[in-house]
Amino acid sequence: MSALGGPAQTAGFQPPTGMGIAVSIILIIVALALAFFLIQMAGLLALVGIVIGGVLIGFGVHFVPVGGAPAAMGQAPGIATGVAMLAAGAGLAGLFGGAWAAPLGFPLALAGGAIGGGLLMAITCTMVNVIYIFGMGIPSASGKVDKDPITGDTFPEFKSQGTEGHGLPFISWVGGVIGGALGGLGGTLIYLELLEVYQAQVLVSASIAVSLAGVFAIGMFLMNAVLAAYNITGTIEGPHDPKFKRFPRAIIASATASAVAGIFAIALFEVLMVFIESNLMGAL
Amino acid sequence: MEEIVFGIGITALAGALATIAGAAEDTESDIGSQGDPNSQVQLAPQMGYIHRIFNKAIAGEPPAYGLWVALGAGLAWAFMAMQMNPILAIVLGSALAVFVQGVYATTAYLGRTASLAKFEQPVYIDILKSMTTVTMAHAFIAIFATVAMCHLIISALGHPFPLPLLGLVWGIALGAAGSATGNPFYGKERQYQEQKFGAGVPISASGNIVRYAEAGERNSLDNGFFSAKLGGPASGICFGLIVFFELWRTVVFEPLAAGWGAIIIGVIVILIFAVIDRYIEVWARNTFGPYAVPEVPEVPEEASS
Repeated sequence: MSALGGPAQTAGFQPPTGMGIAVSIILIIVALALAFFLIQMAGLLALVGIVIGGVLIGFGVHFVPVGGAPAAMGQAPGIATGVAMLAAGAGLAGLFGGAWAAPLGFPLALAGGAIGGGLLMAITCTMVNVIYIFGMGIPSASGKVDKDPITGDTFPEFKSQGTEGHGLPFISWVGGVIGGALGGLGGTLIYLELLEVYQAQVLVSASIAVSLAGVFAIGMFLMNAVLAAYNITGTIEGPHDPKFKRFPRAIIASATASAVAGIFAIALFEVLMVFIESNLMGAL
Repeated sequence: MEEIVFGIGITALAGALATIAGAAEDTESDIGSQGDPNSQVQLAPQMGYIHRIFNKAIAGEPPAYGLWVALGAGLAWAFMAMQMNPILAIVLGSALAVFVQGVYATTAYLGRTASLAKFEQPVYIDILKSMTTVTMAHAFIAIFATVAMCHLIISALGHPFPLPLLGLVWGIALGAAGSATGNPFYGKERQYQEQKFGAGVPISASGNIVRYAEAGERNSLDNGFFSAKLGGPASGICFGLIVFFELWRTVVFEPLAAGWGAIIIGVIVILIFAVIDRYIEVWARNTFGPYAVPEVPEVPEEASS
C-alpha cells in the first residue's frame, strides 16, 4: 500500500487493469475508424503501421539497461543516464539511417533504421564498459541476477561493498543493442507510413513531406519512450531484470497513444483543408 | 569511384567533428554538473556539505543539446536561406544558440542553488560569473561542430532531412552518447575521489562529495580540467565512432548487393563491438579479480591495521 492509498507496487510483473484495456481498445478502434473515414484503406493501413511502430518503441525501451544517477557513482549497473533519453538517442540515430535508405524500398529502410539504432547502442555500451574498466578499475556485476544468462559469469563476488552492482554485464550489452534496434525499427516504420500519407497530398512538396514525417516520427518516438520510462519507474538492467516483465502494460499504452497521436498526424491536412475552406467562405 | 572517395573524405571529416563535439559536450556538462552526478551536488548541502560546485541540471543532456543544436542549426539554415556564406551562417547560428545556453545555465544555477537556502548553501556570484562563460565556450564548440557535421551530411552526402531536424536528431544522440560515457567518470572518479579506486561508491557515502582542492575550495573549473583528461575524450570517441560508422557503412557499402551491403556491414560492426566488449569484460574479471573471497574476512584485518 503506498502513502496515497494506491495498490501495492511490486518490482516484477504488474498487469494492466481491465478498465485500462477496455478504454485502450475503444480508443484504438475509434482512431482506426477515423483513419478509414478520412483516407480510406491507405489511412487505415498507415495507422496500423504507426501503432506497430509505437509498440516496437515501447517494447524496445524495456531492453535498454539504464542505471541513472546510481550508475554514475558505480552504485548500480547500467548506463548512467535516463531511460527515455538514451532510447531516444538510439532510436533517432536509427531514424536517421532509415530515412536515408527510404528511396531504396521499405524492407531496406526498416533494416537500416534497426541497424542504425543497434549500432549506436553497441558503441555506447562498449564505451561505458571501457570507462568503467580502464578509467575506474571496476568490473561488471549485475545486481538483479547472480549469473549472466548468456555467458554464465557469476556476479556476487565482483560486486563491491555497499553497492547493488556496477558496469554493464554482457546480458545488458545485448539488451541495449536489441532495444536500440527495436527503437530504430519502430521510429523508421512510423516515419515511412507518415511519409507515404504526406506524399499523397497534392498541396505538399517532397521536402515538406519529409520534414513533417520526420517531426511527427521524432515526436511519437519521444512520447512512446517516455511512456515506457514511466512503466519502468527509474532504472532497469535489461531483459533479465524483473521489471522487464511489466512490458505488456507499456505495449497497450504505446499502442493507444500511437493510435491517438497517429490519427492527428494523418488527419493534419484534412483538418487544414477544413480551416482553409471555412476561411475562404468567410472571405467570400 | 571519385564519388566514393569524396564520400569517405566527408565521412572522416564528419567523424572528426563529432569527436570534437562529444569531447566538448561532456566537459561542458561536467563543469555544469548537468549529468546524473548532479543529484550528488544537489544532495551534498542537504547532508551538511556546503560546496562551490556549479549545478545547472534542470534538463537531461540529450534534450538540452537537442534544443541547442536544433536552435543553432535552425538559425544557420535561416541565414543560409538569406544567401549567407554557410561557414559564417553556422558560426552565427551557433553563437546565438550559445546565448540561449548561457541564459539557461544562469537561471538554472540560481534556481537550483536558491532552493537549497534552508540548508545554508549560498549562491556564489563569482562562481556564476566565472563558470557560466566557460560552459558557454565549451557549448559553442559542441554546437558548432555538430551543426557543421549536419550541414556536411546534408549538402555533401545528400541526407533528405532539413538542417534543423537533423540538428535535433544528432543533438539528442550527442547528449545521449556524452552522458552515457562521461557521467560515471565525473560522478565516481571526481566527485568521490576520496573513495577507494576500483570499487563503486557505497550508498552510505552519498552526498559526501569532495569539496576541497589542492589550494582552497574545489570549484567546477577543477572538475572540467579533470574530465578533459579521460571522460571528455572517451565521450568524443564514442560519438565520433557512432557518426563515422553510421556514415561509412552507408557511403561505401550501400552500392553493394542492392543496398543490403550497408546492412550486412552494420551487423558485422555490431558483432565486432560485441567481441571487444566481451574481451574487456573478461580481462577485467581476470585482472582485477573478485572483491572478497567468502572464507577470508578482509574488513576486520583492515580495521585492525
